[in-house]
Amino acid sequence: MRIELDRPRCEGHGLCEEAAPLLMHLDDDGELVIDVPKVDGTDLDAAKAAVRVCPVAALRLAER
Amino acid sequence: MRRIVVVGNGIAGLTACDSLRSAGFDGELTVVGAEAHHPYSRPALSKALLHDDDGLTAHELPEPTHEATELLGVSAAGLDPDARIVQLDTGDELPYDGLVIASGSRARRLAAGPRHDGSSRELTLRTIEDAVTLKQRVAARPSVIVVGGGPLGMEAASGCLHLGCEVTLVSDAKPLSRQLGDHLSDMFTAAAARRGLRFVSGGRARLVDTGAGTRVALANGTELETELVVTAVGDEPNIDWLAGSGLLVDGALRADSRGRVRPDIVAAGDVTLFPTRRGLVRVPLWTSAIDQARAAAAGLLHGDAAPELDFQPYFWTEGFGLSLKSIGFTPVAGAPDYCEPGADPESVLMRWADEDGSGTAAAVNYRIPIPKLRRLANTGPETICPAEAATL
Repeated sequence: MRIELDRPRCEGHGLCEEAAPLLMHLDDDGELVIDVPKVDGTDLDAAKAAVRVCPVAALRLAER
Repeated sequence: MRRIVVVGNGIAGLTACDSLRSAGFDGELTVVGAEAHHPYSRPALSKALLHDDDGLTAHELPEPTHEATELLGVSAAGLDPDARIVQLDTGDELPYDGLVIASGSRARRLAAGPRHDGSSRELTLRTIEDAVTLKQRVAARPSVIVVGGGPLGMEAASGCLHLGCEVTLVSDAKPLSRQLGDHLSDMFTAAAARRGLRFVSGGRARLVDTGAGTRVALANGTELETELVVTAVGDEPNIDWLAGSGLLVDGALRADSRGRVRPDIVAAGDVTLFPTRRGLVRVPLWTSAIDQARAAAAGLLHGDAAPELDFQPYFWTEGFGLSLKSIGFTPVAGAPDYCEPGADPESVLMRWADEDGSGTAAAVNYRIPIPKLRRLANTGPETICPAEAATL
């Protein structure tokens, strides 16, 4: 699976980072950086949690 | 534990389902949702007003992956905790080994009920249907009175104002002061006034029918005419179905620090009181629902071995050109103890120190990584920018 970000939608709440700190982070300007876009195995649970907590649905998991 | 029933399919119910699965629960999971939809983001609804196009997609959450049996458009009507049975409004019964109560809350209304012809005197903003109706009504640019000076009332007022309506905010207290404190309240009220929001206070408001529409009457005798009334006067927990269960204490549901109401029943989200550093309170916020639901799922599966929830609020609101993100308990008293201006005139980063050494941090129009904002709240400015702190 691949983590996709809808950047214009992202408001920088950072809840995704707190759910999956190894996969993504907010940089010093508060912009989200996806560090590990391709996820499987144990990362997948963290990625799902990150996608789910976003209150503006800026993240999604896509096949491939 | 083989069968778990989750009553409520908002973000708390959804997070509980996900957390139960992540923790390895592979038994039978059933979720009961009063709304006919999959869970969506309520915080996004007030913003959906502003989108001219389709607009109503920002609230959509990804499809659930917890593989629970979803009973949508169905409400819980009763609970027998000794027999371990949830009664549904369809007449069906759901037996369980473990129960998650996440039935949320509903908008409190000013009027006791609809008019004789069934129409409503007031619009609220709680559900996706509410948002769609409000968007349709506001499109004709009516004059609007928003009753309620909390974050939701202010967001609704900002949205209507932005769309070109003439908007009056009716609030007993200074807007946002009860929720955030005077300092942040002043920032938002000043920005709102500059954008043309009219403020009226005059005591408790009630709605009076007139021939054509609704009039807002205040305790001091002031009467206000308008074409559209939006009320944002708080929420009421959905606990009616628990009335005969024996679980309510003083008319409220209470969970412990692991979300437990009793060993086989946990509760999470807007529906329940839970212990925080500021006492036993209900915190109807997005992250509160998520944090509580995670704790409750663990509490249901692991009991005393589950970690206790030490809740720290994360809150945001937007309106009148200002965007606020805050971490820590509010309202905060007085002016901030630390204040760092940002790039533009309205941009500022602030911290209020608590007596216990922690604090509350707030960023207004200030882009900052949230973990950094959290560090600022918890341990002070020294930990985020040593150079600047040294010059204070």
